[in-house]
Amino acid sequence: MYQLTLIGWILIGFGMITCIPLLMAQLTILIDPKGQRAKDILIGKGEEWRNETHFKFSYGAAIADWLIFFPIFILAIIGMIVLKPWGYLLLSIAGTIQIYINTILWFTEKKYVYPNLGPWKYYTYFWGNFMYWGVGALIYGILKIAGMITF
Amino acid sequence: MSLLQKQMGKFPIGIWIAIAAILLLTIIAWLGQLYSLLDWEGAINLGLQNDRFDGDLAEQTWALESWGVAMADMIWPFPLAIIALIGIFKHKFYGMIAAFMELAIGVYFPLFFAFQRWELHLETVILALLLWTLPSLLGIIGLWKNRRFFEI
Repeated sequence: MYQLTLIGWILIGFGMITCIPLLMAQLTILIDPKGQRAKDILIGKGEEWRNETHFKFSYGAAIADWLIFFPIFILAIIGMIVLKPWGYLLLSIAGTIQIYINTILWFTEKKYVYPNLGPWKYYTYFWGNFMYWGVGALIYGILKIAGMITF
Repeated sequence: MSLLQKQMGKFPIGIWIAIAAILLLTIIAWLGQLYSLLDWEGAINLGLQNDRFDGDLAEQTWALESWGVAMADMIWPFPLAIIALIGIFKHKFYGMIAAFMELAIGVYFPLFFAFQRWELHLETVILALLLWTLPSLLGIIGLWKNRRFFEI
């Protein structure tokens, strides 16, 4: 019933491609909060934080993601691999968190980053992929726990 | 049988804890955010928000960020809380799943807030952690212990 299928592997792979680079970038801000490397990775090479609020927002997100999202995400993958229902529950919870934080980012950050990035970058790796993965993980996790799908 | 699985009236104690955590989130956080969107100044006077749109530049930026968070709260966690409460009272599986998601947000967002603003609003941060993170964490444990209580 909780067999890890191709769809499950695709979600794991897509989740890793989407979330791991961000988590690594967030690690740089946690190691050296005011360092240039964190700014280069998170906001662009040579760029500066818009203001203290922008920095603190990113710093808060980095800590919360490493404390909550990252462990849930890794445990979800482990749970899915060992064929446990809690793996799918954690997958849907990880998806929920991504939907939540990216809805916040839609309202707070889009007006700053979208004009520079344009639709292709914004609706793929910069913001969109997190939302697509979140929705996919949420729906797949629920359907799998409920036994409504076997694939 | 653990304490969390002990029946107390209609539900086991663990589920009552989850219900209480969701109610704390709904009444203080989500309804507070709804009120803030309708009357920002009134929300500041009640202590629901900290930053004014007509304050200095830093305060305006925090106010804009808080407004964005309030909008996001109306779109995702608030409806999720309603679905969770209805589902739990009907003993339905969807209620348990929605509750897990709601409570995960209940753990995540105060931490997100805490690490942004503990230097600015320490009391609010401590209050948020005590009112939402801790009960939500206990609610998740309570729900998981009683997961067989819900019908698929």
